[in-house]
Amino acid sequence: MIASALALAAAIAVAGALFARRVLLLSRLVRMGRPSGIDRTDDVPERVRSEAVVVVGQRKLLQRLIPGLMHAFIFWAFIVLFPAIFIAMIEIVDPDSAPDWGWYDALSDVFCVLALIGVATAFYIRKVVRPRRFEGSHLGEADLILLWIAGIVSTLLALHATDERAFAWAHVLLILGFLAYLPHSKHLHIATAAINVYFGRTRSRGRLEPLKFDDETPEEEMRFGVGTVEDLTWKQMMDAFSCTECGRCQDACPAFATGKVLSPKLVIMGMRDHLFAEGPKALEGEYEGPLVAETAQLEEMAWDCVTCGACVQACPVNIEHIDHIVDLRRHLVMVESRFPSEAEPMLRDVERQGNPWGKPQAERADWAEGLDVRVLEPGDPAPEVLYWVGCAASYDERARESARSTAKLLAAAGVDFAILGPRESCTGDPARRMGNEFVFQAYAEQNVATLDEAGVTKIVASCPHCFNTLAGEYPDFGGRYEVVHHTELLAELVRDGRLAPTASEQTITYHDSCYLARHNDVRAQPRELAAAVGRPVEMERREKQTFCCGAGGAHMWMEENGSPINEERVREAAETGAETLAVACPFCTVMLDDGVRSSGRDMRVVDLSTLLAEAVDQRE
Amino acid sequence: MNILVCVKRVPLTGGKMVLTADERAIETRHLGFTISPHEECGVEEAVRIVEAGGGSVTVVTLGPPEAEEQLRDTLAIGADRAILLETDGGDWDPEATAAALVEVIAAENPDLVIFGNESADAGGFQVGIRVAHALGRPIVTGLKALAVEDGGLRCEQEVGSARDVYRVPLPAVVTVKEGINLPRYPSVPAKLRARRKEVERRTPAARDPRLEMVRLIVPEGKGKQAEVLGEGPGAAPAVVGLLQKLGVA
Amino acid sequence: MSTLVFLEAADDLGLQALTFARRLDPAVEVVAVGDAPSVAAKVHLAEITGYAPQAWARAIANLGPTTVIAAGTDRGNEVLAHAAVMLDGVFAANVIAADGDTVTRQRWGGSLLEEARLHGDVKLVTVAPHAVAIEETTGEPDVQAFQPELAAGDLIARVAERVEETTAGVSLADAPVVVSGGRGVGSAEGFAPLEELAGLLGAAIGCSRAVTMAGWRPHTDQVGQTGTKISPDLYIPCGISGATQHMAGCKGAKNLLAINSDPEAPIMASADYAVIGDVLEIVPAITAELRRVRGLS
Repeated sequence: MIASALALAAAIAVAGALFARRVLLLSRLVRMGRPSGIDRTDDVPERVRSEAVVVVGQRKLLQRLIPGLMHAFIFWAFIVLFPAIFIAMIEIVDPDSAPDWGWYDALSDVFCVLALIGVATAFYIRKVVRPRRFEGSHLGEADLILLWIAGIVSTLLALHATDERAFAWAHVLLILGFLAYLPHSKHLHIATAAINVYFGRTRSRGRLEPLKFDDETPEEEMRFGVGTVEDLTWKQMMDAFSCTECGRCQDACPAFATGKVLSPKLVIMGMRDHLFAEGPKALEGEYEGPLVAETAQLEEMAWDCVTCGACVQACPVNIEHIDHIVDLRRHLVMVESRFPSEAEPMLRDVERQGNPWGKPQAERADWAEGLDVRVLEPGDPAPEVLYWVGCAASYDERARESARSTAKLLAAAGVDFAILGPRESCTGDPARRMGNEFVFQAYAEQNVATLDEAGVTKIVASCPHCFNTLAGEYPDFGGRYEVVHHTELLAELVRDGRLAPTASEQTITYHDSCYLARHNDVRAQPRELAAAVGRPVEMERREKQTFCCGAGGAHMWMEENGSPINEERVREAAETGAETLAVACPFCTVMLDDGVRSSGRDMRVVDLSTLLAEAVDQRE
Repeated sequence: MNILVCVKRVPLTGGKMVLTADERAIETRHLGFTISPHEECGVEEAVRIVEAGGGSVTVVTLGPPEAEEQLRDTLAIGADRAILLETDGGDWDPEATAAALVEVIAAENPDLVIFGNESADAGGFQVGIRVAHALGRPIVTGLKALAVEDGGLRCEQEVGSARDVYRVPLPAVVTVKEGINLPRYPSVPAKLRARRKEVERRTPAARDPRLEMVRLIVPEGKGKQAEVLGEGPGAAPAVVGLLQKLGVA
Repeated sequence: MSTLVFLEAADDLGLQALTFARRLDPAVEVVAVGDAPSVAAKVHLAEITGYAPQAWARAIANLGPTTVIAAGTDRGNEVLAHAAVMLDGVFAANVIAADGDTVTRQRWGGSLLEEARLHGDVKLVTVAPHAVAIEETTGEPDVQAFQPELAAGDLIARVAERVEETTAGVSLADAPVVVSGGRGVGSAEGFAPLEELAGLLGAAIGCSRAVTMAGWRPHTDQVGQTGTKISPDLYIPCGISGATQHMAGCKGAKNLLAINSDPEAPIMASADYAVIGDVLEIVPAITAELRRVRGLS
């Protein structure tokens, strides 16, 4: 008994020491991490809900039933079998005092079997089915971990069956070995995932972390995104530690799906590998290392991203890939001045002209010619609702139509609204997604000042990007308004009977905008409108699983590698057989219309506001 | 080498010109501002020369208080000092402008003075030349390439599809044209540093203009509507018909 | 009271300047350097070899004129600016009309006009290119050669050598047809259909400033106020919205066919003809139709 106790203690000490040493490094790295730009401790009820749903409930994983069950079995087994470790240890030291809970043993056996089924299923998926999402992942490491898990549960089953002390030893040693190995492998996620989920964004998922450029902060302390490993935030490190290389993000990514270099999984893996290679050196102090972007094709991958958030949505441990990608862009744009040259005119135009199209602000209200739209001058009384038109609808000939339709509908419904006209400058979204946080903040502050001076309290925006920025990002700059998307307001007017459309026979398929459906949870109201004007038919990739049009992440102004994302989406829309492809975003309008033309199809791409305006006209 | 660059704040007009009620200025209420494209290249050229061979770049502008914004842009590109000769924003004719600049430049005594070939707005084509005469220095204009060589300058001026080469000794004055280089996109750290630098302010002496602006006039358009030949690829036959009619097909 | 017109050559711009000068003063005489231009007028020919703007200006100043006119070319503007200093005169560049002491001149490359009053005994003006219809013809000059009295320093800035550029294709400034692309072309590769059409028409390729800043084409292709100024028989801007700085570069175009997806783009106000739609669909269609028609004939 003493001998076994000593042997066990020695084993625990060794495993514990190895574990602790590694965990110490990980915690030193995380403590070196820069602070996150947003408050990640607010909204506690929502955070707890995420834990329950995503972690305990395994909900994101269960989106794919078989792999989800496979993982759930192993995960729940881990929880249920946890006490069994200690029971086994007691078995080793003093078999007679080991608890003899038949019900627990039986329960454990059930979960061991489930775990083995899980492991077998996992091997089947990995070796027979071989899905693409594992391309680039470390498959050998996964195999090792699965076998280890199999060994752990098998030894427990054997222990229960035979009551042989040897199996207790085997079980405990396998677990202690696993403990030592854990923080060196991607299995670390079992510790970090729960933490990562807790600190993830709850609402306003399209909100990026602001940087500080004020005069009080000394230049050495300023952070311009991620240059070297020293610029990583603690949350970005936690993301890296939580990645299991499952590839669900890669599967969801529209860039990856269309042959581009970008894989969100490889971005996180690349960041993680760089963190482990360079982080320890940075901990020593006086660090001068390579740019993170210069490893693992990260720079090239960063520019392919459309910031659609499909990766974040798909990730079972709520990794926020967009933060990594935008932070890489930020350093490249703001410090290195190194970015796709075709975007330079856009950045200069946003900065000097007030909009990314380089057209004069003085002409911003020209779209409203002939309509009786009130332009709010300084000193005018504030309207009930300010209609934020956005640069695209103001200047682009295809997007203009939706502004005219929206204005007509609001007037017809008797809504007291006004536009800012030339005083409305770009919200700064394209500059921000491109990585030029500095220019973005200048516009955020300017626009907030204009809106506050005008006494605006409620805003309706046509463009989901404007909507996302006004609602989710401007509060960081003191701008607090009630912000709705035009589909939300129009749907409300229809419900209230202030607009009375007559539905036609046209078949309509509605394309969810990423910035509406995924980043901001606006999914139902556009569908209400589609149902009110025609006969809706759904695409498979819809709502939270919508597939991007390709314009996000400033890609409206950047060239695209691989095959076009917009054509891929148009192909899917055409498969529904619908005559009309309804959208709720000026970028989607332009991209999908381009996609329809370039693939020679025959679908009408049109904003819901225009469809509604047509359906309302019919009645009169 | 000490280089002094002269720049001018001009509005970013778009597709049409709109005048103020008194017809003496462009309505700039919702316009952004910049420095003339030729001059931006001039600042970039000066910064590159100094980055390669040492020295300093000073930028001077004659303009309203808001022109400080443009001076800070040039500091962000890499200029070391900025001087604002503050006016009330009214129109200064080329001779008055040159006289005000000469006062500052003579005191600074730089090795090289760089101007844009002409300002984007007034387009007088003479301030640089007037300044050069006042300083007693040689001037070469419209440069598309500039290099410092053995205490002098090798300059390239575009003439049709050829280039004329000049060699002049320093100190000298040059005017440059856009295309001599591609101006850098300034980094944010550079912009922040520029924000914190001091801009020196002076009040230049005004004088009566000899080229006196009486009023501005927006030229009439062609007066006729464009004849729309068609929409989309289907218009191709009509276009080819036009090409044949014009004798270029 | 003597009026001189400085002529570089009896080309279109020179004859425009002479027409303008003759209207102001029928007794106008010509001053030139090196080669006498073929115009029927008295030509004071200064003997200076090679271009040296200050020396050329000195030659003009030697003749003691009270009014000097020239074409608004790079050299015309440069030489007259030097001469203005030497004569203590007032110089107005790119004038389109004159009446006594008042001139109308171009600002913003011609997108805006200025009415200005010239104060001073000596007045110098350059004539904006293509602002005046030619009423003069070439002819035999009555040459009076002279040696100008130069001051020290007049020859410091002089052309040392000329380097010919080996440009493939048609020169943008001289091409009778120019096909230009702007933002609407979408990418550097998007210029391929434009190049194909230009090839068929023997045209030069131009671009807007946004394209140069985006890095798709070199600055030498840029048409605009700070780029190359063109005056082709036919100008075809594709996907160019028509900002004033671009239009300043193509004022001289005799015909303008705009291809643009926006029927309300500013360029439509300056266009003679237009095709509305996607540039990348329309240009290849034109090329194909042109080939077809040529194949038939």
